[in-house]
Amino acid sequence: MSAALLEDALVAAAPGPPRTRRRAHGHRLLGLLVPLLLLGAWYVVSSQELLSTRLLPSPGTVATALGDFFAGDSTTTLAGVVPFTGAGFEHLGASLYRCGVSWLLAVAVGTVVGLLLGLSQLARDLLDPLLNALRAVPLFAWLPLALIWFGLGEGAARAIIFVGALWPVLVAVSDAVGRVPTAHVETARMLGTPRRWLWRRVYLPSALPEVVTGLRLSLTLAWTCVIVGELSGTDRGVGAMMSAARETGRTEQVVVGIVVFATVGLVADLLLRAATARWVRWSRA
Amino acid sequence: MVAGVTGVLEASGLTKAFGELLVLDGVDLQARAGQVLSVLGPSGCGKSTLLRVLAGFEEPTSGAVLLDGVRLTGPSPDRGMVAQAGGLFPWLTLRDNLAFGPVASRRSPAQVAAVVDELLTATGLDGFADALPKQLSGGMRQRASIAQVLANRPPVLLLDEPFGALDAQTRLRMHEWLRALLAERPTTVLLVTHDVEEALLLGDRLCLLSGRPAKIVEELPVPFGVHRGRGVLADPDFVRLKAAVLERVLAA
Ligand SMILES: Nc1ncnc2c1ncn2[C@@H]1O[C@H](COP(=O)(O)OP(=O)(O)OP(=O)(O)O)[C@@H](O)[C@H]1O
Ligand SMILES: [Mg+2]
Repeated sequence: MSAALLEDALVAAAPGPPRTRRRAHGHRLLGLLVPLLLLGAWYVVSSQELLSTRLLPSPGTVATALGDFFAGDSTTTLAGVVPFTGAGFEHLGASLYRCGVSWLLAVAVGTVVGLLLGLSQLARDLLDPLLNALRAVPLFAWLPLALIWFGLGEGAARAIIFVGALWPVLVAVSDAVGRVPTAHVETARMLGTPRRWLWRRVYLPSALPEVVTGLRLSLTLAWTCVIVGELSGTDRGVGAMMSAARETGRTEQVVVGIVVFATVGLVADLLLRAATARWVRWSRA
Repeated sequence: MVAGVTGVLEASGLTKAFGELLVLDGVDLQARAGQVLSVLGPSGCGKSTLLRVLAGFEEPTSGAVLLDGVRLTGPSPDRGMVAQAGGLFPWLTLRDNLAFGPVASRRSPAQVAAVVDELLTATGLDGFADALPKQLSGGMRQRASIAQVLANRPPVLLLDEPFGALDAQTRLRMHEWLRALLAERPTTVLLVTHDVEEALLLGDRLCLLSGRPAKIVEELPVPFGVHRGRGVLADPDFVRLKAAVLERVLAA
């Protein structure tokens, strides 16, 4: 026995694989290289005036506009006018709130319906054809209907984000739950788990890594849909600012919008990954 | 037989067919209270199927499973089964895996903690309470799978080739560990294996199964007493019995 203990202790004491850690670090630095090269190319192209500034503003103009957007003195504007200077946080807040509310609703609905589909053959038989058909409808095709139902503005924007964010969650949950090994379910039953606890004790934890992938995809899509939703006539939001900037020909402001979208999307994904890391730790090699 | 121990597991006329494929053909057996019954059979004969029927995971096509004379249906914490691949949940730490059964049967947190600590010590895995199953070695995982099932203190333990995937030395250590563990908590054990030595080292009695469709072709007591250690491996009687049983299995 003591020999077995010794061996076990040695197994556990063996240092983890340092190679993977070094590699992961290397990847991150490489990931910065390409954006920096592109930035350099952008700088060269605009400083040589190879393209008109209306098509491609210089990095400097965009940086100035970015500062203006978030730190400039805001002036009161008329209703229906989309402000730019100093309105960054207001627009960003509106977009984030819109996206967050719709995404959370999509996650809740997607999880419940996904669990239902994954756990019940009857639910699958009843709903699968309908859901697959609805899933095939392009997001933009929902926009006119959303506008008719909810009118221009907030309701339509939220509806579009909700629809875009719903499918990845729903599909990930129902697929993952359907793939849970029966052996785990049998073990849980044998250990005395009541049927009504199975979804919480077995199905959900076992499915979580795949579900988290679905959540990340869904959040990215929700954020993408924000711009689609905000084209439907809201006057606050990063997307609203961008369409106003396009109408007034302020390309550097459009680019500011793109920079904001990209940054927020990246940060949101990092945050979501960090928040869910402990659910997926067991499934990572 | 150990006094005061219940847990007589009986199979009477068990038949199991998957469609056209007959796997169990009228299996009668009795695992006596507090004893280890080894079930030996060639690969693919239906050993796992027999255990799954006894555990309640599969309905028998005909026949019945009885515990202390009461007919059983469906799985229950009364019959702890350790599947061939082990039963640990990969997303739970060792501690939470051991706590799974007691939590499911709604024992108080203090009771759960006591059971888990006791089993961590009994498995020699105290230092690994917070490790995930993938961080354990094969031998550690098998010990943990057995402990996970024992946490419910089942009167009957069903083991499906629990040490089949381990190397010879580790397997010998596991045998000694299991016998010490069972000595402290009298349990009726049905041990399915294709390893003759394991069947003789651990079993109080031995059932031989035929090839598919499986039926019992022979049942014999194993005469080496309760306290056999690995020293018995060199005993001429043990060697002779092992050779004889091996012949039977190969002929089956
Ligand atoms: N769910 C099932 N559906 C159909 N056939 C099955 C099923 N389970 C087992 N079988 C068949 O029953 C037979 C016996 O399988 P079983 O797993 O019980 O054998 P075994 O003796 O445990 O084999 P091994 O020693 O390799 O573990 C095999 O031919 C297998 O294909
Ligand atoms: Mg088997």
